Amino acid sequence: MLELEHEIKRLVIETLNLEDLTPNDIDPAAPLFVEGLGLDSIDALELGLALQKSYGVVLASDSKENRRHFASVRALADFVSTHRTKS
Amino acid sequence: MMGFTIQRWAAWAPGLVEPAAWEAWLTKPHALPAEGTPALTEMPAMMRRRVDRLGRIALQASYQAHVAAPDAPVLFASRYGDLGRSVELLTQLARSEPLSPTSFSLSVHNAIGALYSIARGDASSYSAIAAGEETVEAAFTEACGLLADGVPRVMVVLYDEPVPAPWQHFSESLEFPRAWACLLAASTGADAIHLGCHAGARAVAAPEAPETPEPGGLPADLRALRFLVTGAARASRWEHPVGARHWRWERHG
Repeated sequence: MLELEHEIKRLVIETLNLEDLTPNDIDPAAPLFVEGLGLDSIDALELGLALQKSYGVVLASDSKENRRHFASVRALADFVSTHRTKS
Repeated sequence: MMGFTIQRWAAWAPGLVEPAAWEAWLTKPHALPAEGTPALTEMPAMMRRRVDRLGRIALQASYQAHVAAPDAPVLFASRYGDLGRSVELLTQLARSEPLSPTSFSLSVHNAIGALYSIARGDASSYSAIAAGEETVEAAFTEACGLLADGVPRVMVVLYDEPVPAPWQHFSESLEFPRAWACLLAASTGADAIHLGCHAGARAVAAPEAPETPEPGGLPADLRALRFLVTGAARASRWEHPVGARHWRWERHG
């Protein structure tokens, strides 16, 4: 799981051009959106697409569920590990 | 038409940053590197990450010309705009690949200006202009209109980069990424610059030959900048015939 968290941090940094950050700067339990990293709704869409491409996970249109999956890097890693169709 | 003066200007191209270097280069242009991106440290990193090379060049010139200036309407003008982004999106569509939401949201002609306005928290009026070979004249016509309406200052930003494949054959001139920006104020003084437009390929009141065209030379936006800012060799006039119209930039000083 730690490895997957690290992989997702790298995906977040590369996908969203967070050029000043390294994976170690991201707290896996901290919020990704608004507070914490300060990402916005376009980032959420971009990240959803990247997760789909890398892991084959399909995000439902249920925004409540998505909010939970996108809460932090750790939550994303949990979601990806149970729903991934690509390794 | 309303006359204007330039209160401040800035320009950026790979290898050309300082105004003095630009003036020397405009007087005697030579080949510039095709690659290079400004740091754009004026913009917060979380905004800057969305701005690609052309936008960074345009905004670097904008921040430098705009520094310490009060709010003013801003006109962003580019003949081709962020064409590279459009080519990429269209290629992805043709392959039935999903589009990047970020790239899609920034693929409109006013995206660069919009990011600048958000980053500066500036609610002034912004426009995005494209008018082919007459892009620089369209921008300055709009600026003169705003000044005639009583706006004290207007910012004009011109920016372009080499046209990407597969459309590069549409571009005629020497190409490298560049941007220039100037802050204009209305003027009726002797130093005022006037822009006029006449019908016909040759101006009736200009019996002397118009400037010889520069095939493979400077694009129109840079010929305009040369007329506007080169100091010692201040020409009193720059003629720019385009199709059925003849633009004339004049200085009487």
